[in-house]
Amino acid sequence: MTDIDDVMRSRLREAQAAAEADRVSDFASSWSAAEARAAKAGRRRAALTGSAVAATAAVIAMGLLFRGDDDLRYVDTAELLGTTSWVAPSDSLLPQRQFDIYQDIPLQMESTESNGGALL
Amino acid sequence: MRDSDVLDNNPHISRSALEAIHGQVFGWALSRCNYDQQAAEDLMQQAYVELLTGKARFDNRSSLKTFVFAVVQNLARSRYRRIASRLRLLQAAEAEAADNYVPPAEPRDATVLWKAVQELPRRQRDIVELVFCRDMTIEAAASVMGVSTGTGRVHYDRAKKALRTRLEAIGSRDYD
Repeated sequence: MTDIDDVMRSRLREAQAAAEADRVSDFASSWSAAEARAAKAGRRRAALTGSAVAATAAVIAMGLLFRGDDDLRYVDTAELLGTTSWVAPSDSLLPQRQFDIYQDIPLQMESTESNGGALL
Repeated sequence: MRDSDVLDNNPHISRSALEAIHGQVFGWALSRCNYDQQAAEDLMQQAYVELLTGKARFDNRSSLKTFVFAVVQNLARSRYRRIASRLRLLQAAEAEAADNYVPPAEPRDATVLWKAVQELPRRQRDIVELVFCRDMTIEAAASVMGVSTGTGRVHYDRAKKALRTRLEAIGSRDYD
């Protein structure tokens, strides 16, 4: 540390002290305000979490209450026993396709074709 | 360190340790906010919230002072950047409106040296403040600023050279 450093350090500290005089709040007030903000943020977070949990529970409960029996069954035993054809479950991504389990499935197993997008 | 003094979410920080450095940290917050007291108080409180909630977790890898300074610096960078720029714009507009307007960044007993420091580029100004006014090493100052120690040294050397040049240019020979 040179003399220039020492001079600059002392002069700058004087100027800095003048710039900050009467502007620094006391620790207690800043700290108590920060604690209040933290507590408020915690309450808000807890309320949001509670709302999210309640909404999720409500959605699940509604789904369970209003679910039809058809949704639970992908394979109809009576239908399978009465016929050799089977309709694969489908949605917007998987096109509906009907198979005869004796005629089509062996071909599907050996074929390398995509069969119209049906996933096997 | 009393047990009740330790923060719940930051076991390496005590309230009394924060109280001991509050003045210096608030001064740093003031300089981050262009010496606007209200903005600095808000920034200071937000920094304490980060420590209270454990979002900013101290793990003793640096000194507490360096850590808290860095928290204030990061908050000021992220949250107050737009506010600070708006504040400067407002002050500039007010300065144009009133000829005798004195911006808050100007200390009341501004010295030639202080003015020269305020005219330095931001990083040079920061490292001069941290090293000369806040008693930090260049390594700690660089850590607060989020730059490498080598970069910090470059800013420090350039700042000193720039200060010397400016002081010589305005005829202040006190430092020769």
